Amino acid sequence: MTSNNNNTLVALSAAMADAVEKAGASTVTVDARQRMPASGIAYSAEMVLTADHVVERDEDISVQLPDGSRVSAALAGRDPGNDLALLKLTGAGLVPAETSAAPARIGQLALALGRPSQEGIQASLGVVSALGGPVRTGSGGLLEKYLRTDAIPYPGFSGGPLVDASGYLLGVNTSGLARGVSLTIPVSLAWQVAEALAQHGSVRRGFLGIRSQPVSINGAAQRLLGRSQSTGLLLVGVEESSPADEGGLIVGDILVGLQEAVIDDPDELLVRLSGSIVGQQAAVEVLRGGQPLKLSVKIGERK
Amino acid sequence: MNSLAVSLADEMAALVARLQRSLVVLHNGRAGVGAGVIWKRDGLVVTNHHVVAAHRGRSGNRDLRVELFDGRVYPARVVSQDEEIDLALLQVDGAFKDEQNQELPEVQIADVADLRIGEMVMAIGHPWGQRGMVTLGLVSGIFSAKTQGRRGQVEIIRSDARLAPGNSGGPLVDASGRVVGLNTLIIGGDQGMAISGQVINSFVEQSGKVLEQ
Repeated sequence: MTSNNNNTLVALSAAMADAVEKAGASTVTVDARQRMPASGIAYSAEMVLTADHVVERDEDISVQLPDGSRVSAALAGRDPGNDLALLKLTGAGLVPAETSAAPARIGQLALALGRPSQEGIQASLGVVSALGGPVRTGSGGLLEKYLRTDAIPYPGFSGGPLVDASGYLLGVNTSGLARGVSLTIPVSLAWQVAEALAQHGSVRRGFLGIRSQPVSINGAAQRLLGRSQSTGLLLVGVEESSPADEGGLIVGDILVGLQEAVIDDPDELLVRLSGSIVGQQAAVEVLRGGQPLKLSVKIGERK
Repeated sequence: MNSLAVSLADEMAALVARLQRSLVVLHNGRAGVGAGVIWKRDGLVVTNHHVVAAHRGRSGNRDLRVELFDGRVYPARVVSQDEEIDLALLQVDGAFKDEQNQELPEVQIADVADLRIGEMVMAIGHPWGQRGMVTLGLVSGIFSAKTQGRRGQVEIIRSDARLAPGNSGGPLVDASGRVVGLNTLIIGGDQGMAISGQVINSFVEQSGKVLEQ
């Protein structure tokens, strides 16, 4: 009856189990809300990255490690806009998750992991179904990039990892950003946020002091810009003494670029204004009277 | 470049074709259709208790029939059942040996103690009456579920393979085609729960009907 001519399937199966074992060693239980623990990922030996919405209390947070031991954790910072929170543990000796060197590709195999209970690691298999962003989130934030998979998001998987077939981290799963639909925050973005939270306790959001609306840019202006860019942001208001005002921006300018990035809609501007740009002199490119103009603006911080 | 995917697909198709021979359709009077697995080649079939429990005929006896992969149908009787762990053991009655004197194609059984989370599994059954349908997934978790009865708990293998009514009593198999569990929808709804193969083994052994090989 036996016919084991299925070496590829057996090898794939073993590889999947290996991936779960590897990534599971960096996946913890986060107990920071009533009754329903969730998951978290070891960011460093003493830091756990998880979903912000599963951290419902600021104190009395505990983390259960892969070896079953339980340690208390302090909240190091939150970024509700990206639904991420960073926890600080003492003497935990976590195995930090290893990140995938290549960004996720549509169609590649992916495993969603979670450790929502003492029953141990749990896993679900799928493929990367879609890549998207930026998208406005339910929490009023703006998610720069996201992935979606068809792996089953079991209860308590929020804050847990999505990994590739070798167990390398592709992103952080959460159902807290899109009305319960599970999304994955790509690891490049998640790690960037984690770094900011580790350093500042929050993600700094830049402030210009403008009101704007998208407008189309005509062909002549596009030729002068030297690129094809069909929209920009028309400034319809500039707050007095704001960074924009002090940098020389005036009503009627069409904002088309910030640093090296093309700005063609408000979401793009929001994305580009977060992080290390805050407090820095930044090159702002506008069209004024149809002519390109570069100004230097010191980006303020939105409190 | 695609040879890996092609050999994977070929292997899976061959494995499914082999397993479907050990899968039976259980007709339980008018209560509908469930799945079962040929556990021993002499005609012992394992299924879920709830698949055979639902209906009794006018005479008060169960009208159970087992349909094999090739369409042959034989009467069957319940040898042993345990509602708490949702298992039943049936004996197929009748002259089912074929012209070559072959008995029924029994399944191979995996050692669940070696099962790892993340291993690939396939569920085979008759969801919504669709015969021999296959869904693919992996072992999502292994845990104990609480039960109503003297045992108090039972070992469950959860997979992310999609299940639907009609999968009940069908096998969950590993990448080598060995049975790791019996799918049931009694626990956890459509969440892909299977009664562990170890539980089935001891149930069959306790039934005292394990025949000499």
